[in-house]
Amino acid sequence: MRLIESVRIAWRSIRSHRLRSALTVLGLVIGIASVVVFATFGASIEAEIVGDIEGSSASNVYVFATPADDEDGGFDQVVQPAFTERDVEALASLPGVTAAIPRGTVDANSLTHGEDTVARQRVTATTPATFDEDRIVAGRGFRSGSAEVVLNERAARTFAENVTVGDRLTLSLSGNQTRDLRVVGIVNGTAGGLPVSDFAEGSRVYVPVDPFYRTVVESPSVGVRQRAYPQVTVVTDPTGIEATRTAVATYLDEESDARLLVPAGTEPTARTSGDFAARISSVIDRVTRFVTGVAVIGLVVGAIGIANIMLVSVTERTREIGVMKAVGARNRDVLVLFLVESGLLGAVGAVLALPVGIGVGYAATRYAEVGFTLAPGWMATAVGVGVAVGVLAGLYPAWRAARVDPIDALRYE
Amino acid sequence: MTASSDAGATADHDDVVTLADVRKTYDVGGTVEALAGVSLSLPTGSYTAVMGPSGSGKSTLLNLIGALDTPTAGRVAVAGEEVSAVSERARAALRGTEIGFVFQTFNLLARLTAVENVGLPLVFAGVPRAERRDRARELLAEVGLGDRTDHHPTELSGGQRQRVAIARALVADPALVLADEPTGNVDTETGSRVLDVFDRLHAAGNTILLVTHERHVAERADRIVHVRDGELERIETLDGGERCD
Repeated sequence: MRLIESVRIAWRSIRSHRLRSALTVLGLVIGIASVVVFATFGASIEAEIVGDIEGSSASNVYVFATPADDEDGGFDQVVQPAFTERDVEALASLPGVTAAIPRGTVDANSLTHGEDTVARQRVTATTPATFDEDRIVAGRGFRSGSAEVVLNERAARTFAENVTVGDRLTLSLSGNQTRDLRVVGIVNGTAGGLPVSDFAEGSRVYVPVDPFYRTVVESPSVGVRQRAYPQVTVVTDPTGIEATRTAVATYLDEESDARLLVPAGTEPTARTSGDFAARISSVIDRVTRFVTGVAVIGLVVGAIGIANIMLVSVTERTREIGVMKAVGARNRDVLVLFLVESGLLGAVGAVLALPVGIGVGYAATRYAEVGFTLAPGWMATAVGVGVAVGVLAGLYPAWRAARVDPIDALRYE
Repeated sequence: MTASSDAGATADHDDVVTLADVRKTYDVGGTVEALAGVSLSLPTGSYTAVMGPSGSGKSTLLNLIGALDTPTAGRVAVAGEEVSAVSERARAALRGTEIGFVFQTFNLLARLTAVENVGLPLVFAGVPRAERRDRARELLAEVGLGDRTDHHPTELSGGQRQRVAIARALVADPALVLADEPTGNVDTETGSRVLDVFDRLHAAGNTILLVTHERHVAERADRIVHVRDGELERIETLDGGERCD
């Protein structure tokens, strides 16, 4: 018997029970579609976040202290100021490095714009190199040694009246000192921030290290007190990032002040945005796999539906099987016939589930306001699993059908 | 045409079916002997009726000759194939190509049209679709249903359905047509017309074995094999004389 004939006869059988077949397929569609939806949504979120990180900071090596036992590329940052001015200069002079941008915080109380005062616990102290031309929305970066301030867009909107370049702000520092600052720029991000701050962008206020940053420690190597920072961002060429990271790590391990200044149980570390992306990816991946795994339950339920309906079908068609055997059908023909029928149910389910899954996945990404990314691997898996589920679910019923005794079957009412 | 029971036990090239001392026992709690040593042969072109009360073993006989079952002992040969010696797979092929079944309840597939029902045995024989359709149409025309080819069984009368079933039995050009109470589910007049079709098949040279419990149906054949308690009681030749076994 030719396979095409099996498909033809099986299709006839499916079509002759339209409602029953439709409901069976629907069960499978729901199962496969949920797998596709969750996989697509997970892939979209991952792509969005990883894309943000990598797109904005592919040329950065982040230097900070982490717990010493943090082996898996974590970003658990220790905020102890350990990287001295000397470290920053040494990092900046490593081969291939364009800039080393220190970053620290200055404790504050509030920030006033005109009549409007908002509470502000800290502002970010950094150097002019942190301002990337591409990310300046208005004005320019601040100059070192001046009473200038740069806000990100969100900070600029914190006040009743939006802050614009040229406005004056009054920063109230801890210890009741105040500083008058001139707003010189509005940015939508900086080179020096950790990648995480780009997609979870809070309100940021940047002031120059000189004169605002006052945290000092004694440099163990030079023996003088100088500024020390919890974090330094080393900017380099994206193509040479791994070489730079190695050079930075070597310096940190062997010569830095930081290696002596970091708290016990921590060590200075160099991380790239790639590490960060990989870390985020693996977390999202785990969540996606879990949620998709839950959706697989739907698939199993769909499979049971197919098995159930095929068993009913075998019983219903016992006499038909007897007739087919009497007119020359071999056991194998009957087996294949039923397998093809259940496989077809699975395939139809899979084919219908794909657009449904992609559609709902797309809607979910729109709702979550992330870019839409397909997960072709998962989709292929879902379809393959659909057909496999159909065939598997049909295996036992088909085997039962093939074993039907034609004599009994012909007598069967 | 000679009805031979013992003589037919030796293989004869002119015999479509040869049964030699065939026994069939069923194990249903105890052992039940459905056939207790039957020898019979069906010469090519013969028309044989099998009669007997229910439980006489005529259904078992039919199942064995139809290659649906295998004997417990003895030999059953159909169209030169030893039924008990070949695989299930080969028996299926034998049923598909050398034997045409006609059942009391027609046993047409409701989903298929008349022409598709007739072509069904050819599906399993691997005959291409167009060829099947042509052959089925031809046969439907022969049984007087040339205008009903695309009807489903439910749209046909009992007599028409049985004629579709007969066309199906003939589609593979079998060596033997087996009919099990073919008039059992139709009225007398329709039954008579169905039997006319068998007469025509016989006249055209087909070998027919028909199982019935009705005397007037059996009398259409050229001999009647009487079965009782799993044994051949006698063979009645209808061109005049009657011969006891």
